[in-house]
Amino acid sequence: MSSFTAEVYQNEYLPLGGAEVNAIVTVTSPGGAARAGPAAGAGAGRPPDAAEIIIIDTSGSMDVPKGKIKAAREATSVAIDCIRDGVAFGVIAGTDVARMVYPDHGGLQLASDVTRNAAKAAVAGLQAGGGTAIGSWLTVARHMLGTRAQDRVCHAILLTDGENQSESAEELDRVLDTCEGHFQCDCRGVGSDWEVSELRRVASKLLGTVDIIADPADMASDFRAMIETAMGKATRSVSLRLWTPQGATVAFVRQVAPTIEDLTERAAAVDARTVEYPTGTWGSESRDYHLCIDAAPREVGDEMLVGRLSLVEGNKVLGQALIKAIWTDDQQLSTRINREVAHYTGQAELADVIQDGLEARKAGDEATATVKLGRAVQLASESGNDGTMKLLQAVVEVDDPATGTVRLKREVADVDEMALDTRSTKTVRTGPGGA
Amino acid sequence: MTSEPQLSCAACAAPLAAGDRFCEQCGARSSDEEPAGPGCQACGAPAEALDDEGYCTICGVRERPASNRVELDLVIAAAVSDQGRVHRRNEDAFALGVAGERSVAVVVCDGISSASAGDSAAQSAAAAARETLATAIDAGRDRRDAIGDAIQAAHEAVERVEWTARADRDMPSCTLVAALWYEGEIAIGWLGDSRAYWVAAGDIRQLTTDDSWAEEQIAEGLLTREQASRDPRFHSITHWVGADAPERPPRVVVIRPDRPGRLVLCTDGLWNYAPSPGELGTLVDALPEQAAPAAVARSLTETALARGGRDNITVAVVDVGVE
Repeated sequence: MSSFTAEVYQNEYLPLGGAEVNAIVTVTSPGGAARAGPAAGAGAGRPPDAAEIIIIDTSGSMDVPKGKIKAAREATSVAIDCIRDGVAFGVIAGTDVARMVYPDHGGLQLASDVTRNAAKAAVAGLQAGGGTAIGSWLTVARHMLGTRAQDRVCHAILLTDGENQSESAEELDRVLDTCEGHFQCDCRGVGSDWEVSELRRVASKLLGTVDIIADPADMASDFRAMIETAMGKATRSVSLRLWTPQGATVAFVRQVAPTIEDLTERAAAVDARTVEYPTGTWGSESRDYHLCIDAAPREVGDEMLVGRLSLVEGNKVLGQALIKAIWTDDQQLSTRINREVAHYTGQAELADVIQDGLEARKAGDEATATVKLGRAVQLASESGNDGTMKLLQAVVEVDDPATGTVRLKREVADVDEMALDTRSTKTVRTGPGGA
Repeated sequence: MTSEPQLSCAACAAPLAAGDRFCEQCGARSSDEEPAGPGCQACGAPAEALDDEGYCTICGVRERPASNRVELDLVIAAAVSDQGRVHRRNEDAFALGVAGERSVAVVVCDGISSASAGDSAAQSAAAAARETLATAIDAGRDRRDAIGDAIQAAHEAVERVEWTARADRDMPSCTLVAALWYEGEIAIGWLGDSRAYWVAAGDIRQLTTDDSWAEEQIAEGLLTREQASRDPRFHSITHWVGADAPERPPRVVVIRPDRPGRLVLCTDGLWNYAPSPGELGTLVDALPEQAAPAAVARSLTETALARGGRDNITVAVVDVGVE
């Protein structure tokens, strides 16, 4: 298997006394579309063993409107059809307790025509009724998956339509701690009665994505896409291993593309100068990371290796990038801000101001909401983040994108506000010529 | 039970095992152990701690390149070429020849860093130009013609430099400033932004005008010197020695000194740190009046190093006496 590539974008020159080193590292898996070049062919070789669990909310609210539970049943059937032969799989129905729908006893079944049909038959009988306790669903999923996270790709899809009412937030947090590292979980909220921050917490902890399915009719295509992505995973869990020299401290490490995800708190110490950040499994893809490291300043002319970023699967190093600093008295060199660093600093601010703006709007603080969402419009416009711009336009009237002059809309559909919140962390990359 | 004396790291107090040369916790050298060889110059880690690229695996600081300096002292003329503190090779070069008490041929070149084999280009150009100038002194040729021939020889020498084509690299090329002094007159010719100065009591002048984007903008009145110096194109040169150089005869000036003084040729590795003739003059004036050319060249080089040494530094100094 060919290895990962890691490209570094940074201004390595620091002024005398300067300590903060910023770098964007673009990591591309084998077969992933590199930043500048066209997409290469899909990664070759046998895919790793995989396990897949689909968790469907069957609480009472899934019956309102009537079509929701039907759409969920259909989407689950579509997803089951996409599971590759030989992948261990199962289906869980969630209410205030979790019920194994397929198989109906412990463990998982290996996918084949026979088992897929049996699973679809079981799913067809699902009815709505009861409460919502996401933590209990995840606990059952973890038991069904067992403890094989190290040697196979374990993935779950979680669909819900309501708030986690049947258990406390602390209970959910405790469950998330026990599930972390055992499987990845993509979360979807259908309709507008679920809590964005709650599902984001689950997805973030379990290294998955979170999104809204505003219209139940879109569920099937979204499920298909999620399963196909999961089936395309070519690696087991990959971690970013970061070595920093004595005297240096890591200010932050965040994924900045395709979405923003702060990894700083996830650091697990390997030795005195090395930490690891889990990134989950990789398909054919490319992700960008922003690293900010404070180095101990040196004399003019000194050069320092301030970070060695390795991509590791277990103890196998798949790729590596070096982050450097050179101290100079030439201001022309040290004051230059790297284009990629500037871009992603803006995208991180964009996500922050959207979330702050929506919160202020909910709290009735229209002045703050207008300023924050105005700044968001300005940032989205400057960076060409058209997807986010479109979502913003559902919430504010844009008078002038260049200055961020906006007015809050009087009537905003809940799903529009939730879509903006959920997708606020989606970033765009710098255009061609950025390298 | 015998108790061993407890060893601990002088820097972080972590316990050390007997025989540890080097603290596992903080990487500091164990005090009772002398360095085995040249290790990390920054934190004292042993040579084994340096990786293949010279980075210390403890403190991250890269080994400074070994001082790389070439000096030539021919008493009435001398030159120094130093790698500087940032670059990993010296792409500057000089060539110097003295043909009697008042005859000197001197050439300074700066290999263009965006080009392949900039160091070979600079060395070849300087050597070829000096050779032609030395012959011209022997033959008593016209100084302007001699400078023209020397630059032509430099072009031909650079075209013969072997290089590997790379998409992101230009063809081998370099700047050149050459001076020919005999029978009381000095001719100076140049291509690019390496410079010549005349430094005498009460008469300090820059003899060359850079072939650069900045000077062209200033000459046409489009930008002030201050504005140009802030532009990223400030250092872009418009003429050079090499196969892909624009066709144009080199510029030549001739001076006849009326008092003794010093002729200083240098690359931008020096003049970046003393951009005006006045600043350079101040540096030379700070030295004893009788300072030999070698002492002046060394002192100017040290000043550039002390101010950052961001580029290669080459300085040639000729003591010009008058009859």
